[in-house]
Amino acid sequence: MPDLLTFSFLQRALVAAALTGGLCAAIGVFVVLRGLAFIGAGTAHAAFAGVALAYLIGAPPMPLALLFGLGTAWITGFLEERGRMKLDVSIGIFYTATMALAILFIGLMKTYTAEVYGYLFGSILSVTNEELQVTGALALLVVGFLAFFSKEFFFVAFDQDMAEASGVPARGFFFLLLTLIALTVVVSLKTVGAILVFALLLIPPATAYQLTSSLHRMMQYAVTIGVLVSLAGVWVSFQFDLPTGPSIVLLATGVFFLAVAWSPKKAPTPSLP
Amino acid sequence: MTLTHPAHIHPHHGDHHHGEPLIRFEHASFMYPYGPALEDITLEIADGEFLGVIGPNGSGKTTMLRAILGLLPPSQGSLRIFDCACHELRCHHRARIGYLPQRQPVDPYFPITVHEAVMMGRTGAIGLWRRTGKQDREIARQALEDVGMADYESRPLGTLSGGQQQRVFIARALAQHPQILLLDEPTTGIDTTTQHTVLDLIQRLHQDLHLTIVLVSHDINLIAPLSQRLALLKTKLYAIGPAKDVLRKDILSQVYGPQILTTDHGHVIVADHHHQ
Repeated sequence: MPDLLTFSFLQRALVAAALTGGLCAAIGVFVVLRGLAFIGAGTAHAAFAGVALAYLIGAPPMPLALLFGLGTAWITGFLEERGRMKLDVSIGIFYTATMALAILFIGLMKTYTAEVYGYLFGSILSVTNEELQVTGALALLVVGFLAFFSKEFFFVAFDQDMAEASGVPARGFFFLLLTLIALTVVVSLKTVGAILVFALLLIPPATAYQLTSSLHRMMQYAVTIGVLVSLAGVWVSFQFDLPTGPSIVLLATGVFFLAVAWSPKKAPTPSLP
Repeated sequence: MTLTHPAHIHPHHGDHHHGEPLIRFEHASFMYPYGPALEDITLEIADGEFLGVIGPNGSGKTTMLRAILGLLPPSQGSLRIFDCACHELRCHHRARIGYLPQRQPVDPYFPITVHEAVMMGRTGAIGLWRRTGKQDREIARQALEDVGMADYESRPLGTLSGGQQQRVFIARALAQHPQILLLDEPTTGIDTTTQHTVLDLIQRLHQDLHLTIVLVSHDINLIAPLSQRLALLKTKLYAIGPAKDVLRKDILSQVYGPQILTTDHGHVIVADHHHQ
């Protein structure tokens, strides 16, 4: 391992993996608790459509990825809030529509642009210093919001109606959560890609969910698992010459099944009143 | 057991004196998209009062609580809470209103301890910009003691029985240090012994902490002995007053129909399987 760390690209990859893994796990706790799993997938594919459009018109990819990702998250959140449509249905529509847009934009390109596919599958080993700085800054922003308003986010995740009735601006926090999810997805596009970011949002928090009955410990466990499996995935992929994204996700999945097997949570047997 | 709170952590707000109206409905009507939920309600609830709200299913009882929480503005008339129009209630006003909604099943696997659930009551009370500290943890612990659940502090909420969960949610409302406590069918879905435990607790909260309590229930006989006044609702306010004045066959039959029976002891029987 010490020899490996002499490679600067690998150092950057490890820092990017730790940042992305921890960040996705932290926001993923609320994604899992609030039942917003498919928002991650929908937002990621919408952001990819933004990247494809950016390459088509020669614009910088991140702002358009953010625009598409935020737009999808907000519109689906709005539809769910109004009760006009179930979240899985509206996300399903946006998921396929934005993926169709991405394929359309790629089809309209005059030349083959391999870089676009990097945003779909991730290219953590080619992360530059500048990209790392942007990832770090956005990660700091997202984690800052989550840490500062953790009591509100936890309340809204547990019972949004009750939070509203107790004087918490729950609707505002729901949309802030959607915004932070979109930011996290866009930050993670370059490193793990649109497909695998969904896995990082879900698997470490779902693993932590198996291991504890406390909200705060779930957050601690999820972030620890997210960081460790991401670092381990980069190391395994480099050692055994495997693709990095799948290595991270498969390791995380393995840890998840171990957690299910050893979960202390059993079918509840309520005590007498 | 007498419930006590140190004065510095349970301020009984100085801007209202005991007995003054805290909640004032004046010809207030509330609409849902499918029609009127409450019509022409005129009612004052005094500081420190225990009001029971009764009526059949769909009579607007829960709507009345949602209106007091400021979640539903009147379509006509006015509703003032803490001398403030209900649609202008700010977050700090809402934090002074503790609310126990109708019992919803808690996901038994949701990772939350009893302590964490009660601490959520502090969230609205301390506002957005403060983080919870030692004093808030102390208040949560006191609220759990008040409801007799202090020994369960570190237990996962999902492992508790329905009655225990209700007591935890009452503790959450108490941790807000509310001036008004709104309780929506607090005894529904729990066994008879626990029903009495929960109602005894509510009565002690009223007596010892001088909370203004609005308790909604379809079970007339359960809440009538606790309430200083009863409000009989069926979209409109049919009667308001002491139980002996409201629980009369001629009044109740206007709302429940001719199948209502009253006994010499004031016991009410509704010959409808939903309202026995």
